[in-house]
Amino acid sequence: MEEKKEKQGSIINNSGTKNDPVLCVSPAKVIVLHLICGLGLASSFWAAHNFYSIDLVSNPAETLRLIWIVEASVVILLYSLFRFNPDKCSYSRAVVRALLGLPAGAIVNALGAIVLGAPVSLQHFRKTVHWSLLMSVFTLVPAASVFGSSWTDWHRIFAQTKPIRPVDYMICLPAHGAVIGAWFGAWPMPLDWERPWQDWPICVTYGAIVGYLAGMMASFGFVVFKNRRQHVKGD
Amino acid sequence: MFTVLAVLIQITGLSLFIMGFFPVKPTLSGISGLESFYPPGSDPTDLSQNVSTLPPDKLKSFYQELSGVPPVFDRLVLMVIDGLPAEFVLGRDGMHPRKEFVEAMPYTQSLLAKGLAIGYHAKAAPPTVTMPRLKAMVSGAIGGFLDVAFNFNTQAFLDDNLIGQFFRFGWKMVKDTIQVDYNVSRHLADELKSIDWDLLILHYLGLDHVGHIGGRNSNLMTPKLMEMDEVIKIIHSSTIQTQEVKHRRTLLLVVSDHGMTENGNHGGSSYEETDSLALFISPGKFGYTSETNNKAFQVDIAATLALLFGVPIPKNNVGTLMAEVFTSLTDEQQLRILELNSWQLLRLLQAQFPELECGRFSCESGSVGHDDAEMFCCLYLDAAALFESWKSKSSSRSVGGDDYRSIVLAYQNFLRSASKWLSGRATDKPIGLLACGIAAMLLSCSILVGLLFVYGRDSPFGGIQHLSHIENMKKWHLDEIFILAVIFSLILSMGSSSMVEEEQYIWHFMTASLYLIFLRKTLQSSTPGRLLHAQNVNSKQKRSCCRIYSIVAVLISGRILRGWHQGGVNWAHLPDISKLLVQAGSAPIKSLQLISILLVISISLIAILWPFWKSRFVLLFTVIFLFLGCLVLQDILNYQYSIFASASSDAIATTMAQNIYALLGIFTVGTLFAIPWFMPLKNSKTSRLCCFSSDISPQIQSEPLLWGFRDSIHVIGWCCVFSWCLLQLLLQQPINSMPVLLLLVQILASIWYFSDGDPHTRQWVEVAALYYVGMAGHFGLGNTNTLATIDVAGAFIGVSSHSTLMSGILMFIITYASPMLALLSMLIYVSSKDMRAFVDTQNEMNFRTFAKDVCWLSLSCPTWLEFHFPRCLHHCIATNEEPFICLERLFSKVSICLCYNGLHLYWHIVCGFSYNLYLHGICYPENVEGLLLERLICLQS
Repeated sequence: MEEKKEKQGSIINNSGTKNDPVLCVSPAKVIVLHLICGLGLASSFWAAHNFYSIDLVSNPAETLRLIWIVEASVVILLYSLFRFNPDKCSYSRAVVRALLGLPAGAIVNALGAIVLGAPVSLQHFRKTVHWSLLMSVFTLVPAASVFGSSWTDWHRIFAQTKPIRPVDYMICLPAHGAVIGAWFGAWPMPLDWERPWQDWPICVTYGAIVGYLAGMMASFGFVVFKNRRQHVKGD
Repeated sequence: MFTVLAVLIQITGLSLFIMGFFPVKPTLSGISGLESFYPPGSDPTDLSQNVSTLPPDKLKSFYQELSGVPPVFDRLVLMVIDGLPAEFVLGRDGMHPRKEFVEAMPYTQSLLAKGLAIGYHAKAAPPTVTMPRLKAMVSGAIGGFLDVAFNFNTQAFLDDNLIGQFFRFGWKMVKDTIQVDYNVSRHLADELKSIDWDLLILHYLGLDHVGHIGGRNSNLMTPKLMEMDEVIKIIHSSTIQTQEVKHRRTLLLVVSDHGMTENGNHGGSSYEETDSLALFISPGKFGYTSETNNKAFQVDIAATLALLFGVPIPKNNVGTLMAEVFTSLTDEQQLRILELNSWQLLRLLQAQFPELECGRFSCESGSVGHDDAEMFCCLYLDAAALFESWKSKSSSRSVGGDDYRSIVLAYQNFLRSASKWLSGRATDKPIGLLACGIAAMLLSCSILVGLLFVYGRDSPFGGIQHLSHIENMKKWHLDEIFILAVIFSLILSMGSSSMVEEEQYIWHFMTASLYLIFLRKTLQSSTPGRLLHAQNVNSKQKRSCCRIYSIVAVLISGRILRGWHQGGVNWAHLPDISKLLVQAGSAPIKSLQLISILLVISISLIAILWPFWKSRFVLLFTVIFLFLGCLVLQDILNYQYSIFASASSDAIATTMAQNIYALLGIFTVGTLFAIPWFMPLKNSKTSRLCCFSSDISPQIQSEPLLWGFRDSIHVIGWCCVFSWCLLQLLLQQPINSMPVLLLLVQILASIWYFSDGDPHTRQWVEVAALYYVGMAGHFGLGNTNTLATIDVAGAFIGVSSHSTLMSGILMFIITYASPMLALLSMLIYVSSKDMRAFVDTQNEMNFRTFAKDVCWLSLSCPTWLEFHFPRCLHHCIATNEEPFICLERLFSKVSICLCYNGLHLYWHIVCGFSYNLYLHGICYPENVEGLLLERLICLQS
């Protein structure tokens, strides 16, 4: 089974390299994309701090809104460049399906958070909405813009965690990193330190961002590693 | 055999541990009388003969003559304000109380300012629950922690106490312990006018209720304090009148039994909870300029009162007198009361050190006492000698001279150290016993784990038919790693007290995460089916859909359960569903309760009937259970909502509840015994009927024995679960009936999910998942790790007379509803799981594997509990610095361990037998023999 999958993957990979050069992503492209995503995050924080003079602890909802708007535009525009079958699917179409994926992913993320114990009262409603939109940008939006409605790819990335191509790594690892980071970020919440950042969703957001950054670094590392091995094989 | 041994070791270990942890301290029995006016050692038996025959008034004067101190007061109004922190009246650390509290109690504050009252911060000993505190106040003794268990049965307080002493004096008592403040106050005016009482006890519960509802800063707090102040004003002005008219000196003693935390809870040992009030208010001045920062212990109240009124100090009193109250007495009298108190404490010390003879020790000023006993003796002898010499030179003494002060100092030295030692004694733990207990428990734990491994090696359960998957089995899956990680993180989290307080968050979070992982796993295995044939895909798709639905059901009901009660300490004030419902009134609660009862009944009936819908015998059972369900329904409808019930309907409700207990018990036991006898007869029919999984090979159908066993376990399991749920619906608060339903749904859905037999899932993972659900449900029903959340009221449903045992059992049933439900559901789980495992195996292997499977399962449950246990131990070590917090938290854990062990002893023995019998059964190929054996086994189960 495993071997078969590997073979399938390599077939896809080979055909991909022939047909669309975009799928053969070089490490340089990967790091540029991740750097831009990271910079988008940093700049949104910076803008929140300097232009609007708000931060995550005092105004979580507004700050989260700013962050997800900036990050979503960066992510959608960038990842749409790496879409599947660029011949059949135009750039604008990839952007549109990513925009459709944004609220859908937000619903999935919000449901997951609520099941794990996020508060559901009205006073937390705006925070939850903005947080889940941000999580959607981290997790499902890139996949939506790249894969569209290709169910097998979705299943491979999110249920089985078997990335094969560089694009898979770029989508899969940051998304998983963000989810795991958010999960761990919820740990300090029940402690009685009585810090303002222990509220929902502040520390969860921090955890998700840390996990997202770690996932991006890991994806870059994997792509470099794979690339080198392929080169060795090719030689 | 080893299992039985291990469980026995476990139980002995646990009992040793408990004995060590909750020490039974030696106490003096009997009632103090005449001898308390003599120094210890001298024996006034000759006098005590005729004392007991003296009439009350003569006894009074006789005591007075002996003590040589006239009573300072002769009437007492004891006003107990439940849960009033001393901070509200006296302020904290010498500061003034908060402004709104000062304004709320103007009269009391003016009394304090004028010197008519002396206020103390009386430090209460934990557990800060009302009954033990009241006991401490009247007897002066510090109860063991286990006292809490007996506090719900306080019809007769058998130890020596002040009230009894007063009674022997011939005092007339008026007890006003009616629960609502208004009632108390309404009677108060009449009682104060009449003169025929000497002791008036008022117990105001309202303040505690206000605290429980809204915390310290509740809006209702200020009006309540004003009301209390008004009562104090009424009583005090009436005492002044009586003094002028009838020359009777009345003491008004305002005490509170415990304080409250910011949220209004109590039970623990924080400063806010133990800071209770003792306010002595007399009609005349005390002659002592009052400070607001006096500190005392709550147990001191008993000694002080006894000496104020000239009665013997209760025997087990560990308190010392509060000197400031006695300033109106002469020097000699003050010294005399110090002496009386010392004698009493010395007697108690002698009970602790049986060989204590003060004459033995040579007490020179240079030699510091080597052990406690010697030190106490020295201190006592020192003080006594000083007093003697002072008495002998009575002619030359000067008032308030240095001699006098040094004697007082010496006595107080002795009293303080003795009192401290004695009260510390109540919480001492013998290390040896504890170590033995822990060692024994670890031993049994290791035996159980070892057995588990042996069984696990013998039969690769669940994977018997998947020999090709052995490789796969060796790989660690995400959910397995996760479960182990959860256990370790739980153990670690027990290290911090805030995590202990908020344990429910961890359980809910972990359970939800575990089921999300299951969901991911299901998704993982779902789609590859697409590549297979269309027909196969359909069934597979359908099955994975079912599994996803069941997981979603578990997750949703888990979330609702989590939101039902906002437990813990820090966030208990946040809104939750139960608070919303309570605010909305009784109608929605009632309708929810009805819905949940109907649903529970219908779910259980459908589940029982589903595989055997044509078997008449099972139909009969269903009818019986339906009848039982209707009974419970009727009972709830009729009686639970009649709050102001008359006595007659109360009695009817009690008998009704008793009937239901009896019927439930009889039918459950009856099912246990009867089902195995009747099931196999219907076997040939049912086995064909219950082929709901289509791929059963025909050879299985020629295995009626196995099927019979499976079916009977199924029915028995459902009967147990159903009766347990009905019992819960009857006993739990109405608000909790919905969580019971949700819990049932959760367990049912997870069993359904597991029964679809994923070969990759190991059985212990599934057992662990059920256990997690049970634990999360435990917190979802509103239980926490503190004693304060135990539902005491429910424990008296259907109990006509106050029996500690009965209400204890009921309380246990209420508190551990959810873990026990998870445990009972293991039976259903076994029945749903097993049939698949035997599809492909050889005929003669069946018995063996089946028995081993059951054995393994039964073993795995206690092993989970063993994991539970180290948590307790760890916890106890971690919080060692605050023994009482530790005790409090551990209390719940220990009892849950006890329950599990008790249940598992039984379960083990049964399984051990069945295992052995099955092994024998293999030797006899005849089915008849097997049938017989099987019946025997079932009889035992």
